[in-house]
Amino acid sequence: MILDLHTHSVRSDDGRAKVDNYCQWIRKKELPLDGMVLTEHRQWDDTSDYRDLEDRYGLVILKASEVETDYGHVLVFGVNEDLVNSFDFARIDNPLPEVLAAAERCGAFAAPCHPGRRNVGLFAHYERKGVVDAVHTVEVLNGGSIPGEDELSVEKAAEHGYRGFGGSDSHIVSRIGFCATEFDDTVTDIDGLVAALYGGRFRAVSLREPV
Amino acid sequence: MSDTEGTEPASTEVQEAKAKYVGFVFDTATFTAEQDKMLAWAESVGETDPRFTDPSNPDFQAHPTFTASLVSRRVLPEDFPKIGGPRGIDGGKAVVIQQPIRPGDRLKASATIADIYEKTGRSGTMTFIVQRMSFVNQNDEPVSMVDWKMIRNP
Amino acid sequence: MLFEDVELGDELPAEHPDISMERVVEFTKAAHMNFPRFTDHEFARKEGLPGALVPGIMSQALLATMIHRWAPGCRILSLDTVFRGHVVVGTTPTISGAVTDVDDDERVVEVDLTLTAEDGRTGVMGTAKVAFSA
Repeated sequence: MILDLHTHSVRSDDGRAKVDNYCQWIRKKELPLDGMVLTEHRQWDDTSDYRDLEDRYGLVILKASEVETDYGHVLVFGVNEDLVNSFDFARIDNPLPEVLAAAERCGAFAAPCHPGRRNVGLFAHYERKGVVDAVHTVEVLNGGSIPGEDELSVEKAAEHGYRGFGGSDSHIVSRIGFCATEFDDTVTDIDGLVAALYGGRFRAVSLREPV
Repeated sequence: MSDTEGTEPASTEVQEAKAKYVGFVFDTATFTAEQDKMLAWAESVGETDPRFTDPSNPDFQAHPTFTASLVSRRVLPEDFPKIGGPRGIDGGKAVVIQQPIRPGDRLKASATIADIYEKTGRSGTMTFIVQRMSFVNQNDEPVSMVDWKMIRNP
Repeated sequence: MLFEDVELGDELPAEHPDISMERVVEFTKAAHMNFPRFTDHEFARKEGLPGALVPGIMSQALLATMIHRWAPGCRILSLDTVFRGHVVVGTTPTISGAVTDVDDDERVVEVDLTLTAEDGRTGVMGTAKVAFSA
């Protein structure tokens, strides 16, 4: 199955997409997505409930977070109360090793996103501050990348032996599904997603229309 | 301009600035909607709708985002701290159109700070200062609201 | 375009707006923005820019114009744009849009909007709410 692991809704400061409209768009455009993960910026959204939309559109809709660290932005899947109390999701300078350790300790899965991006990508910081040993997986395809960024992500991920996944990083409706992740196993809930990510049986896919 | 704009600020100086300045009117200004400027604006962007290009049209009015160019004398409150760094970038404008603006309309604008927050991006650490201009016409009817995202970075 | 014919997923006809120096100078005069970074390539390059830049609010107005051509007589209720990258004066950008929400009760649609610079990078991204008359 294919999930877009990196999307933003109106709950993010720069997000302009309503989740209902993402669902309608996926169905209307017949995108090969089975669902999406909402990764709102610098917060854990513990209030939104998308189960009705899941049922109405037959899509998996999960919630996660995009946090900011001293090594760039990081997606955290499987956020729970313990993790929310482990570090400040609103900060823009959380130490990456602490975020990765907290995620593992709390049964979540954390991985840097758009690692080939200037300033907010992992590999830009590797050049200046060295490698972080606890990193194991990165987002190698990101729908918001400019030319050269994903190429760098793929190249460096291979160099470091990291697994790679994909996400659109959509902030408006029509950009969902540009990139996504194909899983060998079926994922229906957040625990299943965390297990599938730790299991490693997935790959990044680009679904962009040819230019 | 979503209703969830902004997040909890990260640094103390941003927190303090947010508490002190958000929501308070720090400047006012008046403008007259000049027909020739309205027309020149519409023509320069290739508009073809006669409501915006033909002054003899009974519904002639300013192009929807015309107020985006109208700024108060002060961009920020007089004693606003130098947060975020010296570099300034125009991050974007969000315009809400409430009523058509007609030639000769006298617009009164009030300027407030709508939000202050920090995030990181390709440009590094960015402090967002959202300045809001609210416009009413000579009949005190709201005509437009413009949110201007000013980005400051080191 | 009539409201009854609008469907979620519809694409607005893409355009290549005129952002020649002549047009930009005209706009900056109307918008009280007569600064050399918008109207003087050499000055802009000395500031480290790739050339004179199209003002963000001019790009925003170009998007409004596209909406008016797509749905004559419509009323734009809001236009929210993020200025993401440089759009250089005298180049050939592409503006495009797509319908992402249709409110049958209010006769209001939402559209996603993009201005793509000649080099393929996103210059402006945004959304608009557009009302159709009854």
